[in-house]
Formats: sequence, structure tokens, C-alpha cells
Amino acid sequence: MADRAEFLARVTLSLGRSEVLAPPTDHSTTVFEDADTAKSRADSATNDAAERSSDLLNRLAESADAAGWKVHRARNPEAAAGLVAEICEQKSAGSVLRSSHDVLEEIGTDDAVTNTGATIAVTEHVGETNRGLVEESKQRAFSTDIGITGVDYAVAETGTVVLHPRGGLSRLVSLAPPTHIAVVRPGEVLDSLDELFAMERNSFMSGELAGSMNLISGPSKTADIEGTTVTGIHGPLEVHLIILETG
Amino acid sequence: MKPLTVNFRSKASQTLADAQIQQSIEHVYTGFFQSRLAAAADTPDWEVLRTKGKAIKDHTIAHLDYYLGQLADSVEANGGSVFFAADAVEARKHIIDLAHRREIKTVIKSKSMVSEEMGLAEAMNAEGFETIETDLGEYIIQLANETPYHLIAPAVHKSRADVAKLLDDDFKEGDRIPDASELTMMARKKLRGVFERADMSVTGVNFAVAESGSIALVTNEGNGRMSTSVPRVHVAVMGMEKIVPSIQDLSTMLRILIRSATGQRISTYVTMINGPRKPEEEEGPEEFHLVIMDNGRQKLLEDEQMRESLNCIRCGACLNACPVYRKVGGHAYGWVYPGPIGAIVSPVLTGLKDASNLPAASSLCGACHVACPVKINIPRMLLELRWRTAEGSTDKKERTSSITERGIWKMWRFGMMGRKRFDIGARLSGLALLPFTKNGWLKKAPPPISGWTSTRDFPAIASKSLKSRFGKRDRNSR
Ligand code: SF4
Repeated sequence: MADRAEFLARVTLSLGRSEVLAPPTDHSTTVFEDADTAKSRADSATNDAAERSSDLLNRLAESADAAGWKVHRARNPEAAAGLVAEICEQKSAGSVLRSSHDVLEEIGTDDAVTNTGATIAVTEHVGETNRGLVEESKQRAFSTDIGITGVDYAVAETGTVVLHPRGGLSRLVSLAPPTHIAVVRPGEVLDSLDELFAMERNSFMSGELAGSMNLISGPSKTADIEGTTVTGIHGPLEVHLIILETG
Repeated sequence: MKPLTVNFRSKASQTLADAQIQQSIEHVYTGFFQSRLAAAADTPDWEVLRTKGKAIKDHTIAHLDYYLGQLADSVEANGGSVFFAADAVEARKHIIDLAHRREIKTVIKSKSMVSEEMGLAEAMNAEGFETIETDLGEYIIQLANETPYHLIAPAVHKSRADVAKLLDDDFKEGDRIPDASELTMMARKKLRGVFERADMSVTGVNFAVAESGSIALVTNEGNGRMSTSVPRVHVAVMGMEKIVPSIQDLSTMLRILIRSATGQRISTYVTMINGPRKPEEEEGPEEFHLVIMDNGRQKLLEDEQMRESLNCIRCGACLNACPVYRKVGGHAYGWVYPGPIGAIVSPVLTGLKDASNLPAASSLCGACHVACPVKINIPRMLLELRWRTAEGSTDKKERTSSITERGIWKMWRFGMMGRKRFDIGARLSGLALLPFTKNGWLKKAPPPISGWTSTRDFPAIASKSLKSRFGKRDRNSR
């Protein structure tokens, strides 16, 4: 077995040195940005998101459409609930699974769904999970017709929905069901990937890096057969982005 | 994977003679090539991004020992484990042992060139683990028992009929050929079942972030996300060069990788994994293992002429741009990495002696250098390798050029070094070739020149040299 010290010593030697040389601190990569800078960058990204919200919502709508989302705009929570119900009916959904994002409670998702005759389950924060519970929640996600989530952020540059899986936000709710609906509010939209990764870096510097992060930009797709693009290979075949225009 | 680089000529000829493959690969490469150009044109700071990407990689590779140590520390701090593998054999053994210890039954694999280096899927299947490739292209390749054709489009050479035969046992010659979307749905159904029962996953790594111990996975299909959500054990394998220092560097690297690979602004899914699932999460792997492999990369690192090749982010842009790759196809290159970058990496990693045809298979047009998102100067390295096969290598076995070839160039050199010698030489060779000359062209010359004239005509040596004509002209005009 190659032991770490031996492996790294060989790398050092290959670089023509006898010991590890720490990188210079004035390099152009951002690795040496300190915690304060990381924090101020993250703060300005958040402020930016709030101040330019309507502009960012418009840009998000455009790029999300280009990425393959079916984009809907809702003037108020009732309209958003109406859209959710409409999609459930269109898909003749029997079962719906949703995350515990508070925007979903705000728009009254559960009533909207049950009124269409479908059942709704919530992935809730239940404290520590174990193998049995994990199996159950996997089964549930794979047998559900529609998954609904809020967003942790959205990115206007790329039409991306960002989700940090955690208690109350299953990894599979946005992946396993054939249809995914995401609901985004003003103030949750960042300008660019740069801002997103600036926020991530701040979380890292402050010791709060999440277990994982998913960037989702449109439906699952492949072009592996004769270069023809087909949507829906492993993930959702259809993804809807509902943009709520009032907070 | 066993290198078959020595078969370059015969494999290339095979592909060149196959009209159907020629048509389908040309279509796909042109699509990729144009999407990349459009994406670059659509990105205002494209050149700035490339320069930045190159700077990040140059810097990282120059301090690779430091960043590897930092990466291992951060992954462990996040609750993951790290294994350093000197070669493919060690890496494979480590993963197989782990699978045995955890009593694994079904392994889902995402596309990863490093795992191809290990021949991992075959080895795991042989050990009795049901091991399934989940990237659609790789799945097709696995069913066909072949190796990938392209870095990001492994099955580009397969027609719909080929795929239908592989996916549907009942498909017969003469049946209606299903369209791409029907075929994709057939594969979706089959693979869904596999995902649900998988208890281990093996994925590649597009970038590993040293400071945070995160790995980033880029997919369009979603198999990368399945792999990091469903099974209880997740193993990620990476070549030791796949590092970026900080989280923010990812922003730059993802932009240039994805635009160069498919022309998209972003792929459908980018997944960042920072260790195993948190205790309160509904799903996610209980264990996260990172395998960091050398497998000959050390040779690229210590060789200052070749070190730059470790900057490669495996986007495939140089393949789509290369006029030679576009014709001879991916299998001719005989190892995991095809195309211009493969022509550099394969000879160094698997031995220049057998692979000496690879660096020669280039017109040195420079299209790969222009296409590369991290500005790797591929033609420079191809020339370097050619020089080594001719006379530069200190290993005699690697100097594969024939005695005839070397002799001819020695004579050429001698002839070119003196005015008189040059004049006489030119006149003599003109005379010697006269019997083979027709209307100013050499059409069927004797060996060794037949190597050229069997496929192309060669202009005959002019009866009067430029110098003598120039001299006359000069006098006349005075
Ligand atoms: S050498 Fe450059 S263009 Fe070719 S695959 Fe690597 S990064 Fe892409």
C-alpha cells in the first residue's frame, strides 16, 4: 500500500525539490482570501440579491428557459399554488413529495395538492436517521410522481437552482420523481456563479460548509445516442420553475 | 487497461475505411466544435477566463505536493477517508477489498477516465460484484464490450440500430429502428432498477478543492447525483492532478470546462460533495472514500517538457478540433486517452516505444492549442516526443525511427550544409526520380518514397533550380 508520506515525497521529488514549498501568498487564485474578505463578498452578494431582485428575476426567467426549465411567473402566493395544482393535474399525479422549505408552506402547497386528489408527503427534519429510515425515504422518492422544493439560491447567469441537502431537504426529492417543481422568491436570486461560490467560500471559512450542494439547471438530459439531445435519462423528464414575484 | 497504442496504424486504417462511422463521428464532432465556438463567442471575457484557468492550473501543479496534502487533510476533517494509490493495480485492489469488507452486491459507476485506467468495471464484475456503467454512453459501450471512443461522448460511433440491438434482446435486423428518445427511455427503465438496489458507487472527480475537501461532479444525465444520493458507500477516484486550491477557483474552472466540453453555459447538474451524509439527512452515503492515483503521472510531472499536460481538465475540445482525430477515431489511439492530449499522455504513461506513432499522427496545425481552455501547447509537446523517438530519447528502445529514415535525414543534412553539395544533390535526385515522373508529378515512386506516393502525388524536382533561374532573371533585368 502506498503510504501518504511516501506518495507525497515522490511528488515533491518530481517537482525537483527536497521539501514541500508552501505556495506564495500573492498568487492570482483566490485561495488566500481571508475570512473577512470572504464574509464581505458574501454579504454584498446577499445585498445585491435583495436590491436588484426584480432585474435578477427577469434574467433568471430568461436563462432558466434557455436551460430547459418550464418557467412560470406568479404574482402572488395564490397564483403559485394554482400553478402547482395545474401541473399536478396535467401530470395526473397520484403522489407528491415536498421539502420543508418555508416558501412551500407560505403558498399553501399541501392544500393545493390534496385538492387535486393527490397525496402529499413532506421530507421533514426528524433528527438522526438510520439505515431503515434511509431505505424508507429512498423507496418513497422513487415511487413519487412529483417532487416539489423551494430553492436555497438561484443563479441568474445560468438558470440554476441551488439546493443544499440537509434534514428536511432530501437529496432525492429533486431527482428521483419524473417531475420536479422549484419555487423561487425575490431575494433568493444571485447574479452569477462567482457570487454563489463566494457565499460557499464564506460558509467554509466560517466552518459551516454544508455536506453537499446541488446545482440544477434544467431537466436531466443526454446526447449519447447519435448526438441527439433527449431529456430525462436518469433524473426528471420535466422541470418547472415557479417565480413568485412578491415576497 | 492494457495499452494497445502499437496498433495505431491498423486501427486508424480500419476507421478510415468505414464510411458509416466516418459519417456519424463527423456529424457529432462538428456539433461539439461549433457549440464550443458559439459558447466562447457568447462569453465576453473568454480569453481572460482561459488565462485565469491556465494560471490556476500552473500554480496548482507547481505546488502539487502541498495541495495534495491539504486536500487529504480536508477530506479527513470532513469525515471521509483518503487512499493514495501509486498505480492502477493498487487503486483497484483497494476498491475491491473495500467492496468485499462492506458486503457490497451492486456497484453503480459514473463515467471516469481514471477508472478506465484501472479497468475497474471489468475487474469488479469478475470479482462477483454486479457493476454497471450508468452514463448512457458508457452503458452502451459496456454492453458492447468495448472501450470509450471520446472523452465526453464515449459511444459516438454507435448507430441507433447498434444501440437497439444492445438494449433490446428481441430487436431483429429489419425491424423499425427506435428513435433516440425511445432508446433513451428503454435505458432509463433498465437503469432505474439498478439505481434502486445499488449499495456502492464509484464516480470520477471533475475537480477536487484542496482547502475544503470538496469534490465537484459535472453531469447532464444525473447519474452523478444518483451515485451520491442512493448507495451507502461512495468511492470517488481521481488522478492526482485534478486539484484546484479554493472554492472560488471552481467558478472559473467550471465555466471553462463546461463551455469547452459541450458549449453549455452550465451542465444540468453540478454536484459538490463534502464528505459522507450528515446524521440528520434523509439519504446519502454513510461513507465517502477518495482514491488519489498516480499511475505514471509522476513521469509527466518530473519531465519539464511534459509537465504542462497535467493542466488538462479533460474537456475533449482538442479532440473535436483535431483533423486527425476526427478521421481516425478514438479507438486508434489504443489507450484511455485519445486525440491530441492522448498522443502526449499515452506515450509517457504507457511507454513511448509502442506509442511512437501517436505523436506523429498530427499535422501540427495547432487547432488543439487554440481550442484548449487552459491553453496547453500540445503541438510543442508532440514535437518534443517526435524528437525523442528520432534521436532525443536516452532510452535506446524508444528511438524507434528506422535506420533508413535516420540515414536519409543524415544525408539530407549533409547535402543542405554546402552550396555545391546541395546543387549536385538536387540535380542527382531529379535525375534518379525522372523515370517515375509524369507531367511534373511523382506518382509512383520506389520505397521509401512510396510511403508518400501511395496516397498522394509529390511534385517532381524542377529541372532548373531556383537559384539558377533567379540568377538569370537578375541579369536580364539589369
Ligand atoms: S488538452 Fe485542453 S482541450 Fe484537450 S482535453 Fe485537455 S483541457 Fe481539453
